[in-house]
Amino acid sequence: MKGTWIRWASYGATAVALVFVGALVGSLAWESLPVWRQEGLSYLTGKTWHYRGALFGALPMIYGSAVVAFIALLLAAPLGLGAALFSAEYVPGRWRWAVKVPIELLAGVPSVVYGLLGLLLLRGWIYRLLEPFDPLSGDTLLTGGVLLAVMILPTVMTLADDALRGVGASQRRAARGLGLTRAESIWRVSLPQAAPGLAAALLLGFGRALGETIAVFLVVGRQDNQWPASVFSPRAWLEAGQTLTSKLGGSETFLAYGDPLHWGAIVGLGLILLILVGGLTGVAGRWLPQARRHA
Amino acid sequence: MLPAAGCRKRGVMRKAVDRALMLYCAGSAALALAVMGGILLVILGRGLPTFDWSFIGSATGATLGSGGVRYQLLGTLVLVLTTFVIAAPLALGWALMQTIYLPDPRWRWPLRRVLYLLNGVPSILFGIFGLILFVKYLGWGKSWLAGGILLALMILPTVTIAWVERIEALPQGYLRAAASLGLSRGQIVWSVIVPQTWGGGVSGALLGLARAAGETAPIMFTAAVFSGVTLPDGVRQSPVLALPYHIFVLAQDSFDPAAGAHLWAAAFVLLTLVLALSLLALPLRLRAGEEATHG
Repeated sequence: MKGTWIRWASYGATAVALVFVGALVGSLAWESLPVWRQEGLSYLTGKTWHYRGALFGALPMIYGSAVVAFIALLLAAPLGLGAALFSAEYVPGRWRWAVKVPIELLAGVPSVVYGLLGLLLLRGWIYRLLEPFDPLSGDTLLTGGVLLAVMILPTVMTLADDALRGVGASQRRAARGLGLTRAESIWRVSLPQAAPGLAAALLLGFGRALGETIAVFLVVGRQDNQWPASVFSPRAWLEAGQTLTSKLGGSETFLAYGDPLHWGAIVGLGLILLILVGGLTGVAGRWLPQARRHA
Repeated sequence: MLPAAGCRKRGVMRKAVDRALMLYCAGSAALALAVMGGILLVILGRGLPTFDWSFIGSATGATLGSGGVRYQLLGTLVLVLTTFVIAAPLALGWALMQTIYLPDPRWRWPLRRVLYLLNGVPSILFGIFGLILFVKYLGWGKSWLAGGILLALMILPTVTIAWVERIEALPQGYLRAAASLGLSRGQIVWSVIVPQTWGGGVSGALLGLARAAGETAPIMFTAAVFSGVTLPDGVRQSPVLALPYHIFVLAQDSFDPAAGAHLWAAAFVLLTLVLALSLLALPLRLRAGEEATHG
């Protein structure tokens, strides 16, 4: 019977996919066990990573990831929200594609191409810009952050645009009918109603920036054990750094392969990243409008 | 008299704020578009002069930056095709499961959440997972099939969600008409749902494949090598060359001017491939946005 065949195939396909998802999470947790046993919580709080001395502290990399993602959001949020407001509130429906299509295409540019642009162009610009501060090179956390800002701009803009357009047109018309200017209707009607979706757009942008590897790898300098004198001082932004992803993408992943503890420490970075990004996605998922959560 | 003057003043103020916000939003959108245009122009401007048809027709030469990218392009196509062949049936199975076959609708929501979480998983983690599963446990070494499976898992949410949305948007009348003709559930799935919604699945797949074609992180440990192979013949120890990985490795040698021209041309080829795939999928993305307003 054809019907039952399709049904079992459907069960089977779902089961296979679920097993792979489970294996992904499970293998990261299982393979990183040695480092948790050895280092305990100091794996998360230690500031030194020195594999020859079997010292594994992930904090500088967590800091690096947080800084590049924060810089990216700092730049992409005002730009992305502004552009989304323009597309959702000002551009008439017929012309919206002129803003949306290029942004969707921007989202499709592979990260290695961004990396190449960062390496061959942005790095030089940042170096010249920072010359008064006497930088060692153009490979800095700031370079990574600026590059990531461009990369997450489509995510922020598309999701924010969706959230804003989820606000009913009748409410907007009512606001204008009461004599509010366009700016006031945005401030009083659109933004408050779209707020959860806008927050989700920013969180997902941040999560995407945390997880991006290849482009960051090429421009961030990959300097281990960079820990700033003060966590809030942006001086360290102008120096090379290491992120969770640039460590994972580097040659140390192959180097660590034979040694269970070292390997566990590398895989553990992946687990930390998964938990961070998974948490962000989970929180943001609650706030997104139903229509589209997968940009 | 005073209140009137105050009102006028406030009116001027309100108009100024309105103006300023519009200018800000338009400026943001213009800047975002300029970034997109700038990226395209740089890649075109630097890639096109070195590009000719023999660049994609000939193999890479022995010296740095000589020859073309024939096998890198073919390898990427092998990966993309494998990804499609694996991801499409899994996505259809999952989509049918989620919309039709689930015995208890309460399970729909967790399934959706798993998809969203999987969609948020950073691409480097697929690479680490592949290293654990295929290289360490299964002993495949680097293999095109491992790359295809990992990329398929990565794009599964995109394809599945596109398909689910299309199934959910199917007019109820179709299903009722089919049921009133006495069709069984299996027959309805096979002769109504699948033929009516495959467009959604294919557009979702194209979008996912555009992403898969440009990804470096999932394949760099598991499927791609830089040189020394042509096309794979087998599963174990049968890596492929791939365009993004080629660019990634060469980029790290980019100080050599001989590599430069080759790099830009390779980036141009990759970007063209990826943008062509995204353009084919564009109608789907724009429609998803429209549904957000009307749904």
